[in-house]
Amino acid sequence: MSLILTVPWMAWSILLPLGGAVATFLSRRYASRLTLLFGMATAVCVGALGWQLALKGPQRHHIGGWQVPVGIDLYADGLAVLMLAVTALVGLLISFYATAYFPKAGQEETGDQNVASSVYFWPLWLFLWGALNALFLSADLFNIYVTLELLGLSAVALSGLSGKAEALSAAMRYLFVSMIGSLSYLLGVALLYNMYGVLDLGLLASEVRPGPTSQAALALITVGLALKTALFPFHFWLPPAHANAPAPVSALLSALVVKASFYLLLRLWLGVFPTVINTTAVDLLGFLGALAIIWGSIQAFRQRRLKLLVAYSTVAQLGYLFLVFPLVLRGGDFTAWGGSAYLAVSHAFAKASIFLASGIIMHVAGHDRIDELAGIGQRLPVTMFALALAGVSLLGLPPSGGFIAKWMLLNAALITGQWWLVAVIILGGLLAAGYVFRMLAHSFTPATWISFEQPVARRMEWSAFALAAVAIALGLVAEPPLTLLQSSTSFAGPGLREMIP
Amino acid sequence: MIEFAMDITLVISLLWLAWLLLAAQDMFKAIILFIIFGLFMALVWARLNAPDVALAEAAIGSGLSGALLLASLRRSGESGAGNEQRAGGLEPGSGITPGSATLNITHRLLTVLIIGLAGTLVWAAWVMPPQHSGLTEQVTARMQRSGVSNPVTAVLLNFRGYDTLLEIGVLLLALICVRSLGALPQFLTLRPPGMVLMAFTRLLVPFMVLVAGYLLWAGAHAPGGAFQGGAVLAAAGVLLLLADIGLLQSCPERLLRALAALGFTVFLLVASMMLQASGQILNYTPARAGAWILLIESAALISIALILVLLFSGGRFEKGRVPAQERDPVQ
Repeated sequence: MSLILTVPWMAWSILLPLGGAVATFLSRRYASRLTLLFGMATAVCVGALGWQLALKGPQRHHIGGWQVPVGIDLYADGLAVLMLAVTALVGLLISFYATAYFPKAGQEETGDQNVASSVYFWPLWLFLWGALNALFLSADLFNIYVTLELLGLSAVALSGLSGKAEALSAAMRYLFVSMIGSLSYLLGVALLYNMYGVLDLGLLASEVRPGPTSQAALALITVGLALKTALFPFHFWLPPAHANAPAPVSALLSALVVKASFYLLLRLWLGVFPTVINTTAVDLLGFLGALAIIWGSIQAFRQRRLKLLVAYSTVAQLGYLFLVFPLVLRGGDFTAWGGSAYLAVSHAFAKASIFLASGIIMHVAGHDRIDELAGIGQRLPVTMFALALAGVSLLGLPPSGGFIAKWMLLNAALITGQWWLVAVIILGGLLAAGYVFRMLAHSFTPATWISFEQPVARRMEWSAFALAAVAIALGLVAEPPLTLLQSSTSFAGPGLREMIP
Repeated sequence: MIEFAMDITLVISLLWLAWLLLAAQDMFKAIILFIIFGLFMALVWARLNAPDVALAEAAIGSGLSGALLLASLRRSGESGAGNEQRAGGLEPGSGITPGSATLNITHRLLTVLIIGLAGTLVWAAWVMPPQHSGLTEQVTARMQRSGVSNPVTAVLLNFRGYDTLLEIGVLLLALICVRSLGALPQFLTLRPPGMVLMAFTRLLVPFMVLVAGYLLWAGAHAPGGAFQGGAVLAAAGVLLLLADIGLLQSCPERLLRALAALGFTVFLLVASMMLQASGQILNYTPARAGAWILLIESAALISIALILVLLFSGGRFEKGRVPAQERDPVQ
């Protein structure tokens, strides 16, 4: 018991994946096993951190024993721990899938890109994991920039891992977008440091005053993070980057990476700058979110390739997350931001499952042209079941995590009387129904002869299924995660409730 | 007055160089301008009383980045024709790429975005109230317990050592990224290097190693440190490669990887040890802080230098060429 209370679990949950990244870089032969080992150890730390939180409330860790403003603090509250837990669970299942997806690597470099991708997937993914954990726990504006650099670089390299021309050009564009985003963020941080002389989010929240400099800084930071989150119209880089990556990478990018920059937006807008934001700004973000839902859904429906359809669906689902800003500012409170965070969580599971399932389909069929997938459901019943379950959550049908989240958002829109948002949420659901059924319809068409002969590893199918099952389970047992979320406090101390007028 | 004139000259030269650079049609010319731009930038940092940044800018921003850009230009020049052929051979629509219309929109969007960012920045700088003093006082008050007397090193390795830990990780990650892209076309041709280059390299490299070691040691109390020292050491490595002295190429792959990861590994291990012992990442006791910082910096120096040289040569050292001794005109 005292072990749970005293060990600094949050610090370990950052150091362990980074250590794993080094280990898998050095030892290629055991890379996949080492990833599972370090991954499980990280998951244990995150679990223990959650326990610690339940017993003692939100935690702070003073790095180097220095106090703010000179040192850097880590900070864990309900929201941060929930994101860590999602990362750990999604990450472990994807790692498990990847052990079968990538061929075993030898010690020597052969120049074969398949082998190269299987050698470098593991260290890159563990770097990504470490960066995500560091980002979720960071309470320091500049430190967040460093974590964004780690995150962006590893995500870009992962997305180009297949080595194909399309993948490389998509990765190149992703790199530029990611760098412009980071630069914009950094400029905002420089302005803020120049004005207030602090970098700690808590101190900043108590010192920040409305004014042109603060607004300009927040605008720069927001543009940078919106680029990285692929908010409409900055979504152009996402579909090619996510669709051309190897399946486990697509799943990681769509489930976790884009959520990280959204998480920062949520934290900064609601926790640090609530006094700076105004109705015009939140309405603009909400409006772009609404456009993303409609545009993304229509584009998803029009795609002929499964992976592109799924990638555009990510654009649409990310749009929902941005509805939180107009909803919270007009009094939506926990129903609004809890709903948005819960959508991010359930989308992570559902989308990871769909991308893993698409990977299996591509492996078995040799392509992902939707119209030519008839009969695949007979060949891959578990995969198709996973796809259907995850689709249910994406649609927001009960009982699923997506349902709870969209229900909360809908409620918030009704409470605050924002009817246009009600309309958008309902319309988005209908459009989602369109593309989810399109995704499933052909696959379930029975075929008299089945041409899909490629064998597929069981663990790949079951990983995809497990992720979809969690997305559904989030609708059946919503109480614990929502309670955890509700225990979130802003960095300044008082809950979001008190910060919002 | 003279200082003012100097500053004005610097600012105007910077803007002028930047414009020339962007307007240059010839890529080689643009790179040379970039290198000069970096040197002027280093002067600006020196004028702003930031000698550490000036050193880093001159060594990395101008020197090594310039070398990297030149190497890339050479590579893309040599392999350009082959790439075009391959791209032409692709079936239309065989991959998932957005059409040219999308690309056009993308470019316009990005242009608007960048102009918007620049505008916002200018406006924000215009209306900015008088500067905050930052954290200088708090840092000065804690220098006694930091283990070093150079405030920059104290911030980088102690107060904000966690940032630096992650940044060393970024360096290692950059190497992994470059390697994950597969093999690059060879940069060094089989033409043997000239006698002047070879003789100078033999003369210079030992001194550069010495300077790197000095910069590392000096970092505790004066401008310097692992990054600056690492950059100098990397420059020595680049010279070795250019002069085709096979020292680096003869290093086995496993050892290379271990050395590249050394800095990050040592940093992580120290952080974990402190976490285990005191409950906080990188919590050195004030009495030992100096020694720990020196240990971390020494390991980081090696990795920084090696990674920079590896990035210069495309992630791996090119092998399978004529050993230098067999056609060494000096011996």
